[in-house]
Amino acid sequence: MAGNFFAAVGASVLNLCAEVGGILTLLFRVLICLLPPRFDLDETWRNLHKMGVRSVPIIVLTAFFTGGIMVIQAAVFVKKFGATSLVGWGAGYAVFREIGPMLLGLMFSGRVGSNNTAELGTMVVTEQIDGLRALSIDPVRYLIVPRVLSMIVMLFLLTILGDVVAIVGAALFGTVLADVSLASFWVSFSQNVHVADVTHGLIKAAVFGFIVALTSCHFGITVKGGAVGVGRAVNNAVVAAALGIVLSDYLLTYALP
Amino acid sequence: MIHCDGLCLQLTHRPVLADVTWHIEAGSVWGIIGPPASGKSVLAKTLCGLFTPRQGRLIVDGVDLPGLPEPDRVRVRRKMGMLFQNNALFDFLRVLENVAFPLARQNPKMPQDELVARAQERLRAVGLSGSEEKWPSELSGGMKKRVGIARATICNAPVLIYDEPTAGLDPVTTSKIYDLLTGLRQKHASTVIAISSDIPALRHFVDHILFLHQGRIRYCGPESGLEACEDPVVYQFVRGQTEGPL
Ligand SMILES: Nc1ncnc2c1ncn2[C@@H]1O[C@H](COP(=O)(O)OP(=O)(O)OP(=O)(O)O)[C@@H](O)[C@H]1O
Ligand SMILES: [Mg+2]
Repeated sequence: MAGNFFAAVGASVLNLCAEVGGILTLLFRVLICLLPPRFDLDETWRNLHKMGVRSVPIIVLTAFFTGGIMVIQAAVFVKKFGATSLVGWGAGYAVFREIGPMLLGLMFSGRVGSNNTAELGTMVVTEQIDGLRALSIDPVRYLIVPRVLSMIVMLFLLTILGDVVAIVGAALFGTVLADVSLASFWVSFSQNVHVADVTHGLIKAAVFGFIVALTSCHFGITVKGGAVGVGRAVNNAVVAAALGIVLSDYLLTYALP
Repeated sequence: MIHCDGLCLQLTHRPVLADVTWHIEAGSVWGIIGPPASGKSVLAKTLCGLFTPRQGRLIVDGVDLPGLPEPDRVRVRRKMGMLFQNNALFDFLRVLENVAFPLARQNPKMPQDELVARAQERLRAVGLSGSEEKWPSELSGGMKKRVGIARATICNAPVLIYDEPTAGLDPVTTSKIYDLLTGLRQKHASTVIAISSDIPALRHFVDHILFLHQGRIRYCGPESGLEACEDPVVYQFVRGQTEGPL
């Protein structure tokens, strides 16, 4: 009984180490392709479009309501204490530093990361990756590097867009629900939110993009065993990305100004 | 052209190829046959360096392929065209782009219209004119196979490996495909390795046969000698008998 338990724990730990090792190996191979940069520009362009442009609607929607929800939650206390001069600052600070990058990162992982894992995994099980290798094309250089770059760039840009939309959402909801005029929202926002708050969040966004990219690509290209394997890989990739985002968020919050 | 000496390969801790010793002369046409899961496809992939054998030597055109790191295998793979068993068409590219892809990668400076013309010519040869703009997912099984053949042959590589070139095709199309492959071979004097379970059609096309069973060679020699082979597995398989060791 106890033996079984320890065997199971041991197997899980070994498994975890193998995955982490796989991700680090992939990271190493991606870096080799980037120093000096040698990768496929067409493929990068295609991915930027697919991952970025097509994510705009969902990101805008999420960000708008996130901004709004924060004000709805705060509205009760804002009214009770008459703290209208804090709404702009509160919304800006929370959105820029934490809620924006974190929520959009998770959203991005669900939309783009899982799609990426499924796509790469399907390419593995239908021998397309072998097909590329047989044509002397390095799958890391041709498929992985463009995806990693696209995800970092696009999560960064989408977070800028999301931040703006969330603030607009917060201001509108504040006017309607908490009787905070747009002017006082703006004064509170512009006087208290600093550039450092924005850069703090954007650095996080780039790191989250990198984490989503590495985990989704790693689980995608290591798929084994048909459609079931692809399903399992997508599942693992999303869980790993979420864990990575939360952990790195914790560390970055300490490390960044 | 290709020399295998005592090749052994394991996949997921199971032996898949055992002591394969095989010499392929330039310009010869080989057929690989054998029961399912005997390692035919794995052997084909090993020949173009997609699997690295655990033991033995594999020399392709004078180069020790397994000894090369992945990036350096490029110069060997450029000499090979491969049709995969399940075609491995790139589903992010249209039919024409799929066929032109190897050519475009090998000749980055080739003008676009020449690429398109060469790909269209190859599609016409496999009887698929008019399907240029389709996506692979919109094709039938036989059409996919023919696109795969067009892609494998477009670079006129000196070594061509076809894994099941006629699986799922009717007898008429099968004959047409073998005529096409024969024509290509004569025109470019290429070395050809074909895997097929359609043994009568295959035997018309090849002049040598390699018989694999559980990763081991059971027969390796001229096509005409297959009938006379006394190995019980080969005997039963070639005659399609139900009684026997298989
Ligand atoms: N990528 C792989 N990983 C692990 N095992 C594999 C892999 N590819 C093939 N095998 C195993 O190797 C053995 C030989 O497979 P192979 O695909 O070469 O058979 P085959 O002779 O081509 O059969 P068929 O006629 O059905 O195509 C099988 O037992 C298969 O399970
Ligand atoms: Mg096979």
